[in-house]
Amino acid sequence: MYRYILKRLLMLIPVLLGVAFLIFAIMDVAAGDPVYSIAGPDATEEQLDALREEMGLKGTLLERYVRYIGNLVRGDLGTSYVTKLDVMDVYMQRLPNTLKLAILTMVVAVGMAIPLGVTAAVHQNSIRDTVSMVLALLGLSMPNFWLGLLLIMFFSLKLGWFPTGGNQGFRSIVLPAITVGAGLAALMTRTTRSSMLDVIRQDYLRTARAKGVSEKNVIQKHALKNALIPIITVFGVQFSNVLGGSVLAETVFAWPGVGRLVVDAIDQRDIPTVTGALVLTTMLVTLVNLLVDIIYAYVDPRIKAQYTK
Amino acid sequence: MTTYTQVQKQQRATKRYKKRSSFEEIWRQLRRNKGAILGMILVAVIVIIALISPLIYDYQKDIAGQNIKQRLQKPSAEHWFGTDELGRDIFARVLYGARYSLAVGVVAVLVALVIGVTLGASAGYIGGTFENIVMRVTDIFLAIPSVLMAIAVVSALGKSTLNLMLAVGLASTAPFVRVVRASVLVVKDEEYIEAARAIGMRPWKIILVHILPNCVSQIIVQATLRVASAIISAAQLSFLGLGVPAPAPEWGSMLSSGRQYIRDHSYMTLFPGLAIMVTVLSLNLFGDGLRDALDPKLKR
Repeated sequence: MYRYILKRLLMLIPVLLGVAFLIFAIMDVAAGDPVYSIAGPDATEEQLDALREEMGLKGTLLERYVRYIGNLVRGDLGTSYVTKLDVMDVYMQRLPNTLKLAILTMVVAVGMAIPLGVTAAVHQNSIRDTVSMVLALLGLSMPNFWLGLLLIMFFSLKLGWFPTGGNQGFRSIVLPAITVGAGLAALMTRTTRSSMLDVIRQDYLRTARAKGVSEKNVIQKHALKNALIPIITVFGVQFSNVLGGSVLAETVFAWPGVGRLVVDAIDQRDIPTVTGALVLTTMLVTLVNLLVDIIYAYVDPRIKAQYTK
Repeated sequence: MTTYTQVQKQQRATKRYKKRSSFEEIWRQLRRNKGAILGMILVAVIVIIALISPLIYDYQKDIAGQNIKQRLQKPSAEHWFGTDELGRDIFARVLYGARYSLAVGVVAVLVALVIGVTLGASAGYIGGTFENIVMRVTDIFLAIPSVLMAIAVVSALGKSTLNLMLAVGLASTAPFVRVVRASVLVVKDEEYIEAARAIGMRPWKIILVHILPNCVSQIIVQATLRVASAIISAAQLSFLGLGVPAPAPEWGSMLSSGRQYIRDHSYMTLFPGLAIMVTVLSLNLFGDGLRDALDPKLKR
């Protein structure tokens, strides 16, 4: 098991370096040569050169990348062009908000998807199945930011139950979490249903029923437990989309998270902030995916057995 | 007792059964799926709207032209969906907007398709170091959340419709690489491929003639569903102000301007969003139906 985790961690390093390079290169194109706009039109060539030196813009792309990685390892992502604040500090200050949103999103998604998916599978081809599947299809087809706007219209402006935006405690996070969670819930409802349908046909469920296990226990203990692996997989894979979706939700609800940080920084052409935030977010996604892999290697004895030998 | 005509009928029936081509078979499967047919009809209607809207409306006058006297009017007989903050008819703009969403969705997926199929097929066929490099780069692309990826690409290339297509396309390439490579690996060692190689067929021709036809159905399904998600991604970017530039009636940017008037003029945010949802929903219905028809094993 430890060897498995170690191996996976080592395999992560080239991917992370690649991710950082890709983002670094893209943002380099985006930046152009920012010294002109910062120094103003009257700057001499020497002044420009000095500024480049100061901002760490000297050298080829590869040289700058190596320097960037060197600094990244020490936790230094540079300073913002606009606010002159340390990018790492700003990111770490925003990250808890995004994580709060992500966690509640996951709770919302699982809370909707598992009951809907299980009901759909247990009562296959019934009206309940159809309703669940139509709901899932609607959830998949609705752009999340539009859902957010509709929620604001109804629950904030009409009923006044939740604030329209900002960060005023728990009530501020409910609507954004539903906004991001609906799409995920839709996808997971589908996965839960098909995974349950696979399991329901297995012989051991018939055995369990024959032994006189109650129908409720058959579904909850025997079926759902075995159907969980594909559901956890979707959960892990979709974490990346949850963070992506929160960019939109954070904009709609003015939630001070990482997503808004990126969008605002792009508006202001604040390259170090954008690069840093993208690199860190992607690292987070990759680590969460690894964690999910490890969790189900741990949960499922069949996967575990492959590595303990 | 079997009469002569019965035998003949039976023979005819078997003959007909055998003659049914795979296309007919797929169509027969698809026809049974009400959702897929509904999706197909809706997609056709939206495509027709996109094609004929320039014949109905004059872009300069009806779509982009401002009419401040008529601004922010509620839906009425004259303006079915109301008017926006610049007095433009929202109904006309929503119809016209189909052109942008469909164009961006389709072109983005074509970009993803061409790059993805080329890379996936050659990686699977050539193998070795090349395959390794391609697949690791694909992993890298998959690791970055696609919205963030598209945002980064647009900010690097600049805001324009073409760059939006490229950004969304690049962000949706990786799944195609994976799907195509996987299906190439399945058939790569079959005897008929070996035979083709033995008679001296060029690799690209083997891929094109003998390998790709095996995964065409998967590619079609992927592409249909990806157009749907590309339309959402494009709308998201436009909503963030990184997509189709104003005054074009892109649904996402219409939502972005409607958002400022959400308190008193909610119809401005209602209709463009509804348009996105109906379009994406029909593509999803059609794509799901197509997948079930092409791969009956998946159907339940």
